[in-house]
Order: sequence, then structure tokens, then C-alpha cells
Amino acid sequence: MTELRLENGSGGGDDDDRRVARELREMYAAPADESYWTELETRIMHRVSELDLGWWAELDRWARPALIAAAALLIAASVAMFRARQTETEIAYENILAPGPAPQETAVRPTLEGDRDATLRYVLAHPNP
Amino acid sequence: MKQDIDVTGMTTALVRETSVRETYVAPSAEAARRDERALVIAAQRGSSEAFAALVRLHQRRAYAVVRAIVLTHEDAEDAVQEGFLHAFRALDRFLPDQPFGAWLYRIMANAALDLVRRRKVRDADELPETVPVLFRDPGEADELRRRLGDALTKLTDRQRSVIVLHDVEGFTHGEIGVMLGIPEGTARSDLHHARKELRRILKDIRSDL
Repeated sequence: MTELRLENGSGGGDDDDRRVARELREMYAAPADESYWTELETRIMHRVSELDLGWWAELDRWARPALIAAAALLIAASVAMFRARQTETEIAYENILAPGPAPQETAVRPTLEGDRDATLRYVLAHPNP
Repeated sequence: MKQDIDVTGMTTALVRETSVRETYVAPSAEAARRDERALVIAAQRGSSEAFAALVRLHQRRAYAVVRAIVLTHEDAEDAVQEGFLHAFRALDRFLPDQPFGAWLYRIMANAALDLVRRRKVRDADELPETVPVLFRDPGEADELRRRLGDALTKLTDRQRSVIVLHDVEGFTHGEIGVMLGIPEGTARSDLHHARKELRRILKDIRSDL
């Protein structure tokens, strides 16, 4: 009735394994009808197209470029901020080191004060021009 | 996006090639690999025709992989569809120079394993009367096959998957290890134990039949 011959114990041998494998192959055989595979492909592609049209898929498609753009923007902003801060520091440093105008101002002040006093005296002396 | 490749012609040739059991290297294997790589790249650029061609090319083998892991034909169909959806979503991350089949079948195996896990959780919450018919055999005429089917249910999920993937589908221990996420040695050992267990369960067939 059957060609399967299994021996007692674990030493069944290659022939038995081959017979079992042959039976298994028949049990697990994929559908042979070509139309079955065509239909399965159609179903799969229908689901894929639904997936593709979803807004989340569109988001997913843009996720990587968006992340790269955001990272580039972040780096550019960081560099700009660093440079601005560096420039401020340099200016402040130069201001501290640069000689102040104070002595020069002291030198001209008497002259300026003299001119201002003269103007004031002229205004007070001629109230009605 | 329109691709400048002959998807239909390519697929016909590739399907013919992969239908043949992979026990030898076909003369045009290298050309087939190049064509498949072109299809993968086109699919990555958004060509749904190219992805459909890849589906056509691999769906039979994908079915065989998941069928070895799940218990019913219906579950195998579901797992194949889920597997292709996962593959489509992850296609951008696939490197075209790698073998597409190995990558896809691992995804398929994962989809099937997920489905088996979900079924177990669901079945644990339901009454035993909903246990599925494991192996369809319309006539039930073949006593040997019926007994073999029963014997297979006595194996662990992994042992059953390994013996079917190896003895039925012809995958190597290494390929099975990659697909199931286990070391090659474990796949080899599972196969040995599965065969031993089948022999033990079926040892009385000769006297009964």
C-alpha cells in the first residue's frame, strides 16, 4: 500500500528520509494553477498601491531628505552663531586693547569750552536780535 | 517614473529560470542576476512595474518559504502578502549589490513567524474546537500522508520549518539559518532531530499498513 519503510530507532537511513521528503513535497506543493499566481500578484500589487498612495508613505518618502535638510540647517545655523559670537568677542577685545580718545578730548576741551562761553555771553548780551 | 527597461521580457526569462530547482548554476545565472538587480534599482526609483516583476519572479519561492513555517495554505497566502508589503516599505534600505532573494526570503520568514506568533496568542484565547486543519488532503485517502501530517504536528514549529525548508524546498542549512535567525549549526541540529522524531513517530507504519 505504501512504499514508506521506516526502521525502528533513529537509524532510518537515507531511503526513508527520501521517501518522507517526497511525501512532504507533495503535501507542501504550491498551487500549480498559473491563474492562482496571477491573482496573488494582483492582490499584492493592489495592496502595495494602496500603501503607496497613503499620505504616510509620502511622508516616509520625504523623511530622509527632510532629516538631511534639517541637519544641514542646524549645522549652518550653528556655524553662523559661532562666527557671530566670535566677531563680537574680537570687537570687544579690540575695544579693550585700543587706546581710548580720552587724552585727545582733554586737549581740546579748553578751546571748546572757550567757544561755548563766548557764544553764551553773546546770547545774553543781545536778548532781542 | 517611467523606466527604460524591458520589465516584461526580463521577468519571463527570470521566472523560467527560478522555476528550475537551484541544484545547478544555470549558464545565464549571471545575466539573470544583472536583470534582477536592474529591476530592484528601478523599483527603488518608484517603478511599480518593476516591483510587480519582482513579485512575479519570487512569489512561488516566497510561498514555499512561508508555507514551511505556517500551518495552513491560507496563512501562507497572508504571510506572502505581508512579506511583500514589508519588502516594499524597506526597499529603499536594500543594497542592490546584495542577493535580493536572500533578503526577501528572510523578510518572508519573519512575516510567517509573526503570523504564527499571532495565531498562537489568538488560539490561546479561543476554544480548542477552532484548531485549524493542518494539512489539506481532500480525499484523506492516503493513510501515509495523513499519518505524516499528524506526525508533523508533533514537531516543534522550528523543527517542522527546518525539515520542510531543507528536504522539500532544498534550502541549505546556512540559508535556513539566515531566514529563521538561528545559527547554521542549530538548523543542522534541528533537521537531525526532526528526522529522528519523524522516524520515531512513523516507525509503526509498516506494521499497520
